[in-house]
Amino acid sequence: MGPLLYICDLIVYIGIFGIVSLSLNLEFGFAGLANFGKVAFFLIGAYTYALLSQIGVPFYLCLIAGALVSAIFGLLISLPALRLRADYLAIAVLAFGEILRLIVKSEKWLAGGDWGTPVSPIFPYTGSYIIYRLENIGLVFLCLFICFLVVQLLANSPYGRVLRAIREDEVAAEALGKSKAKYKAQALMLGSAMAGLAGGLYAQYLQYVLPGMFMPMVTFTVWIMVLVGGPANNWGALLGAALVQILARGTNIAKDYIALPIDLNDLQYILFGALIILFLLYRPQGLLKESQVKTKAIGRVRHGRNAIRNKGSQ
Amino acid sequence: MTVNWAQVFFNSAITGSLYLIGAVGLTLTYGLSRFPNFAHAEFITLGAYIGYSVAEQLGLGLPLALVAAFLVTGIVGILCYRGIFQPLAKRGATIIHLMVASIALGFILRHSIGAAWTWKPSYFTTTWSAFDIGPLRITGLWVWLILTAVALAVLMHFILVKTKIGKAIRATASNPELALASGINIDRVILITWFIGAGLAAIAGIFRGADTQIWPMTGWAIILPIFAVAILGGIGNFYGAIAAAFIIGLAENIGVVGLVALGLSTTYRIGIAFLILIITLIVKPQGLAMLFRRA
Repeated sequence: MGPLLYICDLIVYIGIFGIVSLSLNLEFGFAGLANFGKVAFFLIGAYTYALLSQIGVPFYLCLIAGALVSAIFGLLISLPALRLRADYLAIAVLAFGEILRLIVKSEKWLAGGDWGTPVSPIFPYTGSYIIYRLENIGLVFLCLFICFLVVQLLANSPYGRVLRAIREDEVAAEALGKSKAKYKAQALMLGSAMAGLAGGLYAQYLQYVLPGMFMPMVTFTVWIMVLVGGPANNWGALLGAALVQILARGTNIAKDYIALPIDLNDLQYILFGALIILFLLYRPQGLLKESQVKTKAIGRVRHGRNAIRNKGSQ
Repeated sequence: MTVNWAQVFFNSAITGSLYLIGAVGLTLTYGLSRFPNFAHAEFITLGAYIGYSVAEQLGLGLPLALVAAFLVTGIVGILCYRGIFQPLAKRGATIIHLMVASIALGFILRHSIGAAWTWKPSYFTTTWSAFDIGPLRITGLWVWLILTAVALAVLMHFILVKTKIGKAIRATASNPELALASGINIDRVILITWFIGAGLAAIAGIFRGADTQIWPMTGWAIILPIFAVAILGGIGNFYGAIAAAFIIGLAENIGVVGLVALGLSTTYRIGIAFLILIITLIVKPQGLAMLFRRA
């Protein structure tokens, strides 16, 4: 493979995982939910896409269906789970993801069990891998752009401020009449829909799905993206996705060229682990700090304060 | 289809014994440090590999392997707490941060193990001759596993009820401030608990490895059933964990009979424990704790 192919492949991965990272950022960064089962919703999107495309459903409907089914599961999970403490929620959702993986692994009639099932790509191969990847970059980044727009608008809206308020102090938010269960359920639903969409894109790009693609490891790679990039900052989530993918794909490529006494795959995960612990210790706010709320009112207050200050200095 | 129920119950005791040894450390550190340590899975794996090295590569036999794995993994447990979790807690990390840190630690340990040994499965070569007692098929390893679990239960009961450190562990778990005010060295209590907890995980790892195979995912493969035991038994509750271990052992083994009868794949076996875990969390997250005195 030429370097251009590698780079195109990397960009597709950044786009797909950028969407997942944004979705976890919505759930964890803004709403404070410990979703340790992100991969479950990614899996639902991927398998929904795979199964529907096999019976001839057009690709855009498959993608939407993947997001919808995933959102429904997100809502279902949220009903009982949101009353739970952060640690209980994390363990329960992690177990949910493992059960789903167990099901697609065991039910061979459903999607080929362990060996998985082929998925027809959206863009047929026309003799050039570069073009195939460029087409995917276009589609993936269109979806990423839409998702980014949604979460960015949400974050700066009254809705996003309620989410942050609930994250900071549930009791105070409830006292102001904001139902924490409702808002958390909505965040989980929207987050799951985005993860489902990304799952569909992933399945059609790789042209197959198999249970081994949906190990709990995937969830935690996304956690690394959000924590390194900066929780509650959508640009941070994207930055984190790019950095982690560059590191991950980079070691995959370097494997072919560099000989080290330690396996590069092992080294990569050891570094990921160390990186996350160092960030939690020394920079828990991530590379980019939480973006400040931008509203007209706050703008006016600042403007006014500056005006007063300027007057005072004259 | 005739089911050998005696064997089903015996297998339940084997499964329960393994889960109990694996879960004691998790439930105690969870209760004391107030976060679930996902790297407990890697303590299990590390124990299995140390045991494998001592017993097979050095040829020193299983008893010495158990002791070595207990000590080394226990020390690793202390280092992990001192080096990662304690500093994080001091900096005011939330429970979510502590959980993510434990998973990150799991990455480091798992892949260090993979790099130091190998990702290919390894096997203990000691063969355990099987013998029949009535309708039961038994191997020596299983007898050792059950005896170890029983000895652990008795010993831990003695430690928790009779010894000073045991009482200090219980006091710290139920009310750290009061324990501190009573002159208990909380820091030391927590370190000793992490040592014992990680060491016991290592023992579970050796038994699991000797019974099946060892590879860097050995611990992760059984961590969720072990969480199920800790949660069902009530976090930090040792007696609850004993009951929960055998309930989940029974559920898995009777469940396998049910799965076969329904024509479903037996790979769902482990899913039974996941299901119990989720249902307990949703319906009664305090588990069986109220049935047993806190310890």
